[in-house]
Amino acid sequence: MKRAGRLVLGFVAVAATALDAQQSIAARLSGRASAEIVALVQELGRSAASQGLPVDPLIQKAIEGNAKGVPAERVASAVRLVFAQLDTAAAALRSATHNSPADTVEIAAGGFAITAGLRGRDIAELARTGRPAADVTVGLRVAGTLAALGVPPAETVALVSASLRAGQAPGDLLALPGSVQSEMARGATPAQAAAGLARAAAAQARHGPPADHGLPPHPPAPPHP
Amino acid sequence: MMKRDFDPQVKQLLDGELTLADLPAELRQEGEEALRLLAAVDREPVSLPAVTWRVMAALERRRQRRLAWLLAPALAAAAALVLWLGRPASPAAPASSAMVTVRFVLVAPGAHQVSVAGTFNRWDPSATPLVRSGSADMWVATLSLPPGQHQYAFVVDGVRWVPDPTAPAIDDGFGRRNSVLTL
Repeated sequence: MKRAGRLVLGFVAVAATALDAQQSIAARLSGRASAEIVALVQELGRSAASQGLPVDPLIQKAIEGNAKGVPAERVASAVRLVFAQLDTAAAALRSATHNSPADTVEIAAGGFAITAGLRGRDIAELARTGRPAADVTVGLRVAGTLAALGVPPAETVALVSASLRAGQAPGDLLALPGSVQSEMARGATPAQAAAGLARAAAAQARHGPPADHGLPPHPPAPPHP
Repeated sequence: MMKRDFDPQVKQLLDGELTLADLPAELRQEGEEALRLLAAVDREPVSLPAVTWRVMAALERRRQRRLAWLLAPALAAAAALVLWLGRPASPAAPASSAMVTVRFVLVAPGAHQVSVAGTFNRWDPSATPLVRSGSADMWVATLSLPPGQHQYAFVVDGVRWVPDPTAPAIDDGFGRRNSVLTL
């Protein structure tokens, strides 16, 4: 009897959590999306939550579409695309970790990298290189940013993987896009810039940091520090 | 102060309408120089937009809490059950990691108002206005943002969504580009 009571209470608690999630989506989209889009995000949100995918990127895309005055049907397509990209990222991360589930922050970073032009196999390769998970998340974010700069997927993966293998700290990884931008400002193509930095990182992995304590060839230049 | 007039296509580059690769070869050097100048200008902090953003965010959080309470009185009972089962009663608070100060700069000739909207302010074009700085064409705002991935665009005169010409950009899914900031 006591066990049955606990089961019922457990069911109610799960149902309450799901209801809370649905209301949270509705509240966040209140006044920021049409009823049709709210319903779609709630439906996809349920599915995402059951698969361990993050819900926030779906909500953000719906809000963004509304803010930009995009027609509802186009917003719906974009939200569905975000869901598909998150699903692809999650599958790639699972494949790299023998089916152990990735956390939602890691999946969101992978989804962003796919939006930026990387493929599922690129995500999987970075995930294999970048354990522990915190490094994978930063690595995926940086990889997506490099792809957004126009670095091709192969060079992006080579650079981030080499940097992860060299044991670079998150701050050094985050400086990579700035270093690539500096090289591009000097006339290199995105691929050339990334390849040069990857060679430097690979050499660092083989021989340890250089005498100047591992500074990149040129100081990184974040967008607007 | 010396004032320099850039080629119209370079102005389009600064306005985010063209990329460096779109410029004819003879204008690329001028374009790169313009972008370098843009990145180097005005290092003085501008605190007002950051304060505005924080206040707006706090107000929005309060509004959402009130709405959720009004919409779902039954949640109180459910929350009690959740507590009884030892589950967390509310979504996890964001990790209190150090915020990063970021300066947004846009050269927008002829603009009357400029703001920045993105994932950090719920894409609200009115939440984070930029202020004129230095020359009449230059607009700036300084924000404190949490580490992570942010997407954003500038909004010129309330209607025109413009990517940051100095930042990486991705397809926004609506036929435009979003700028990317990774902290």
